[in-house]
Parts: sequence; structure tokens; C-alpha cells
Amino acid sequence: MNDMRLTERAVDSKDVKIAARKVQVFYGETHAIKDVDVDIDDKTVTAFIGPSGCGKSTFLRCINRMNDTIDVARVEGDIHLDGEDIYNPKVDPVQLRAKVGMVFQKPNPFPKSIYDNVAYGPKIHGLAKNKAELDEIVERALRRGAIWDEVKDRLQEPGTGLSGGQQQRLCIARAVATEPEVLLMDEPCSALDPIATAQVEELIDELKQNYSVVIVTHSMQQAARVSQKTAFFHLGYLVEYGETGQIFTNPKDSRTESYITGRIG
Amino acid sequence: MPTLWLVLIILALAAVGYVVGRQRALASSGGNAKLLHSLPSYYGANVSFAVIIPAIGLLILWLLVQPAWIQNRVADMIPEGAIPEGATLGLVMSDVERVATGLNLAVEQGAMSEEDASSIRTEFTDVRQRLGEVGVALGSNVDAPVLRAAQRYREMSATGNTWMTVAVLAAALFGFVSSLAVTKAGFRARNTVERVILIMLMVAASIAVLTTLGIVLSMLFETRNFFQQYPWTSFFFGLEWAPDFRGNSNLSIIPLLWGTLYISFIALLVAVPIGLFAAIYMSEYAGPRVRSVAKPLIEILAGIPTIVYGLFALITVGPLLRDYFAMPMGLGESASSVATAGVVMGIMLIPFVSSLSDDIINAVPQAMRDGSFGLGATHSETIRQVVVPAALPGIVGAILLAASRAIGETMIVVLGAGAAAAQFDRGLGELVNPFEAMTTVTVKIVSQLTGDTDFAAPETLVAFALGLTLFVITLGLNVLALYIVRKYREQYE
Repeated sequence: MNDMRLTERAVDSKDVKIAARKVQVFYGETHAIKDVDVDIDDKTVTAFIGPSGCGKSTFLRCINRMNDTIDVARVEGDIHLDGEDIYNPKVDPVQLRAKVGMVFQKPNPFPKSIYDNVAYGPKIHGLAKNKAELDEIVERALRRGAIWDEVKDRLQEPGTGLSGGQQQRLCIARAVATEPEVLLMDEPCSALDPIATAQVEELIDELKQNYSVVIVTHSMQQAARVSQKTAFFHLGYLVEYGETGQIFTNPKDSRTESYITGRIG
Repeated sequence: MPTLWLVLIILALAAVGYVVGRQRALASSGGNAKLLHSLPSYYGANVSFAVIIPAIGLLILWLLVQPAWIQNRVADMIPEGAIPEGATLGLVMSDVERVATGLNLAVEQGAMSEEDASSIRTEFTDVRQRLGEVGVALGSNVDAPVLRAAQRYREMSATGNTWMTVAVLAAALFGFVSSLAVTKAGFRARNTVERVILIMLMVAASIAVLTTLGIVLSMLFETRNFFQQYPWTSFFFGLEWAPDFRGNSNLSIIPLLWGTLYISFIALLVAVPIGLFAAIYMSEYAGPRVRSVAKPLIEILAGIPTIVYGLFALITVGPLLRDYFAMPMGLGESASSVATAGVVMGIMLIPFVSSLSDDIINAVPQAMRDGSFGLGATHSETIRQVVVPAALPGIVGAILLAASRAIGETMIVVLGAGAAAAQFDRGLGELVNPFEAMTTVTVKIVSQLTGDTDFAAPETLVAFALGLTLFVITLGLNVLALYIVRKYREQYE
């Protein structure tokens, strides 16, 4: 990437939202994440880049303890969210996931209506006292997901009937409906066409007003476009972490340079 | 020539054909298999098929048609007067066949010469005694026309068999020669073999379909006979089941259908929750080790013969329900009850529901669960609100399949609920009392057809009408299940 404007991008110093120290992840015998230390800022888009199998998605899934649903996965080390250890036995992973929302690689709307897809989280967590409040939450979430105008007339139609890009924005709306503090996105655009990708990227840029967004991506252009901070993973190690402009224009580590210039990956 | 030998000859010819065809194909390309259109073995297989299929087909057809044809011709030889009082032509014809077999046997064992067998006359020989010596016992003395018919029968079978051998061998040879003639390098043997395989598969599929059709047609025929003797309005809308072989029966399906539906309902009431919960546990919560042990154990239930379930109902569940529920509540004193049969049948159906639902729940994509977990839902919330709704149409299909099993079940009902039809004139209380003995359509079909019955009486023929009605009901349920399952496939990509 030789887009020099990147260096001029302002990065305000912000509070640390997530702090990870010496995180290790094992899948059975496989050591997938090794000694990862990272501080993720609030109200910032942080991109995780790296070649396939480098552990970036695995690390992302540590942040909302989605790895708990995999029997053979084991996580060591500390991850603090707002100074609280999320792997403390006292922490309820279900509560945590309400605070740390997630958007998946492939759009996965439930086979329910568009309305019910978005209302699912708020209903589970009791965010709405009555139908009117729920309607309001759904509308707000769909607006934030930048899909309200397209679906407002067909809220009762199944979410699976939407196009791929619409489905992914519906899933983002579904995730923001529970008012999370952090939004994790695991390659949210990999199943989308360029137009839908552009829409989702625009959306991510808006979302950073309210949330700390962590996005895993295979596309370095995308990381450069949407993120303020970038972390480069390689073979389970966090190789380099810094401001996006610096990572793409002036990487300190030779592996990072090789990757962004296309020599490894 | 015995048929077995004929078949062996055809198979041998086919084996030879395979080798020769293969070689001939190779020879036609100068020994270079790459110049052939197909692999050499396809040319061999093509010759084998050309030998076997027409020859065996002709053999089967001949064996089916010849006896009927001969019988038809021989039957003309039996004069009207030779048929004894109370017998029919069919009975006499079976005598003829028996005598003919006896004569064959006598010749084979050397008790009679070939000429004797075809020339003996009842006037000079005691045929009954002579045949008795070779082990063929006849019920009465052999009449002259019957003996003559039997001799004619033998002659015609012998000629027929000779012709059959000639024709079948000719067909095999023709197939052999003609297929070898076309075996050249350019011949598309692979495509021909492909087509033959396709046709064989289609024949197999159509046999299954035609059998179903045959069953329905035979039932339809007998049902029509029944409705010619008994008004259909009374059958479908009457309220009493009281068959009487001396006539004046009340043959209504309603009391039996009520029993069937009531017992099936209780069975589903037991099977659906237990089966569904077991399936959810197996697919969502159980670890691989528990699953590998528990799943086969549940499926063992499906392998127990229903008569064994019936015994379980008779000696365990029935008395248990009577002593601890029916008697204390004052609802009945019989161990045979709707509840007994229903509960035991429900146990039988658990593996049907659980096994099918388990597969369907497993087919729900993991992405659905991840999506729900990612929003902070607990495991049971995820199952209740995402997994089960997504799998629901498939689960409904499983339940409907179980229901059609329940409706067709007989043995458990006989031993668990008795054989007395529901009585509508005794009031609603007894009809809905689950501790009352009741019976189902299938049980009555069995009881109307067993024993020494007159196959022309409506009391017997009603079994076919009952069977057909039941068939239509279960068919409807199956179609509904298929429709729902098919629709379900479109739910998520």
C-alpha cells in the first residue's frame, strides 16, 4: 500500500477497551495463539490482518469467549474488558457476549422474519418493556445497520430472503440491537460483492462513533480503508501492532513488510 | 432339460462371451487398447448382457405363461359332468396337476415306464394305488377324464419345455453372435453398457411402484365387492361395530377409527416429547462418547419386535396402570386399556421420533447457533428459539411418520387394549376414558379374516374396506410428511 494519506490520518489517543496479556490458545494439541499482548482502544476500528491460519479469527473469538463452544479449545492468559478479567470464573460468558457483539464471516440470519432477527437479542436480554419499545429498538438497529430504508416495508418477510449484502447488514443490525460495547467482525465482507462490501465498510466507519470495532480481514486494502489501528498476525504470533498508516507505510518488522508487499501469505 | 441347467448354460455362454468380446475388441484395434472407444472390459460386458438379458427374459416369460396356457387348453378336456357336486373346475384342475406330477415322479423313480405313464387307463389300472406307491397320495379315485387330462398335461408340458429350451438357447446364441458382430474398435460399448444399467435400475424401481399399485388394486376390487353388499353410508357414518356371520351385522368404521386415533394419540403424547427431548440432548448436549453409546441403545428400541412390546404391555404395563391409576381413581378394572396400548406404543415410537429429529437438528447449520450464542443467548434459549424452529418442519415430518406407524400397529393393541370395539351407545364417558378397553382398525382386520370364514360375506370383505381406508389415511399422512420435509429444505440455504 502506498497510499500516503494514511499517515496523515488522525488517531486520537483513547481509552483502552480490551487489554490482552500473554494469551495462549490450544486446539487439542495444536498451539494456535502464542503469547499475544494487545491493547484495543475504545471507539476505534482495529483490524487484524495476516495469512490464512495465522490465528487472527481464533484470537477474535477469545474476546467474546466463543471458543468456549468448541470442546477442544483451551485459552490461557488474561483478557480484560474495561479492566475486568473476562476469563474469571465469576464472569458469565452469556452476559459477556451481550456486551461484545459478533458478526460472522458468512451472513447467518435466523430463518425468522427480519423483525424477529433484530428483536431476538433485545428480547432475550429484556431490553424492551413493551412492543412499542421493541419496535423502536428494532428500527434504531436497522437504521444503524444502514438497511432500514430497504426493509422497512417488509419487516415480516424472512431474513433469509434478502440478498447477501443485505443479510450481512441485517446481521450487523442484529448485533448492534443488543447495545454492545465492542463489535467483533470476522471477515464480514468475504462473502459479499464489491458494492455490498463498500456499504458494509461505510457502516463500519459510522459504527466507530459508538463502539470499539475489531475486524478480521484478508483484504489489506480493506484494513487500510476502514481501520485506525492494525495488528499483523503470523503463525500464531502477534508480529506487529500499531497505527494503520504506520503499519502499511513503515512496518518495523520484516515479516510485516513481506506480507503487505505480497511476499508471504 | 431342467431349468437350472438352462440357466447355467446361459451363464457359461455369457462368461465365454465376455472373454471373446474383450479379445475381439482388442484384436480389432491391433492389440492397442488406446485405439478402442471404450475399455476392453466394456466390450466383454456388452456381449455378456446381450446373451443374458434376452435369454433370461424369455425364460422367465415362458415359465410364467406356459402353465396358464396349458391349463387353459387342458381344462377344455374336463366335461361339465366330471366336476363333482360342490367342487369347482379349479379344484378338479388341481387334481389334474397332482396326478400329472405323480406320473412324472413315478417315471423318474422307475415305478412306471414312459409308455405306461402316457397310456394307462383307469379301466385297467388303479392309478390311485400306483401313485400312492411312489408317495403321491390322492384324496379319491382318479376319474377317466382327469387321468386323460393329466396325461395330456404331461405331454404338453414336455413339448413346451423342449420348445422353451430351444427358444431360450436360440435367443442366447443370437445375442452372442449379433453382439460379437458389432464389436469393433469404433463401437461405443461403454455407452451401451451404461444404457443397459440404467434400464436395469429402472426395472427395479418400477417393480416397487407396480407392487404398490397391485396392492391398491386388489384392495379396491374386494372393497367394491363389499360395498355391493353393504351400504357405504352405514360403513362410514354408522356408530356400531357388531359383526355377525349369520347376517344383519353392523359394520361401521367409526368405533374402530376412534380406537385407532385415540390409541395413536396417546402413543404420540408419550413418544413426541420423550423422543424430541432425547434427540435434543443427543445432538446438542451429549459429548461424542455419550452419544456413541446412547444413540445405538435408543435405536435398539426400534429393533424389538412389536409382539414383544405386546407382551410387555400385557404382563407389566397393563397391570401397573390398572393397580396404580385405574383402580384407585375408579376409572376401570381392566388391564387391557387404551392407556396401556398407547403408552407401550409410545415407547416403541421413541426411536422413530428421536432418530429422525436428531438427524434434522444436526442438519441445522452451526452458523445459526453461533449467531445466537454471539448475541448472548444461552444454550437452551438457542435451542428453543433458533434450532428447533429451524428444524421444526423436519420434526413435524418425523412425527407424522411416527403417527402413520402408530395407526398401522396391531400386535401391541391386541395384547394391550383388547379386541372389543368402542361402544358409542354407552356414552361419552366411556369413549374418552383411557382405562377402557378398545380396539383398532388393524386388529379387526385380522379378526375378520382369521378362522373359518366365508370370503363372499360382507363380514369378511369389510376387512378390505377397512384396510383401504387405513391405507388412504396413512398415505395421506405420509404425503403430508413428505410435503413438509420438502418445504423445510428451502428454509435456509
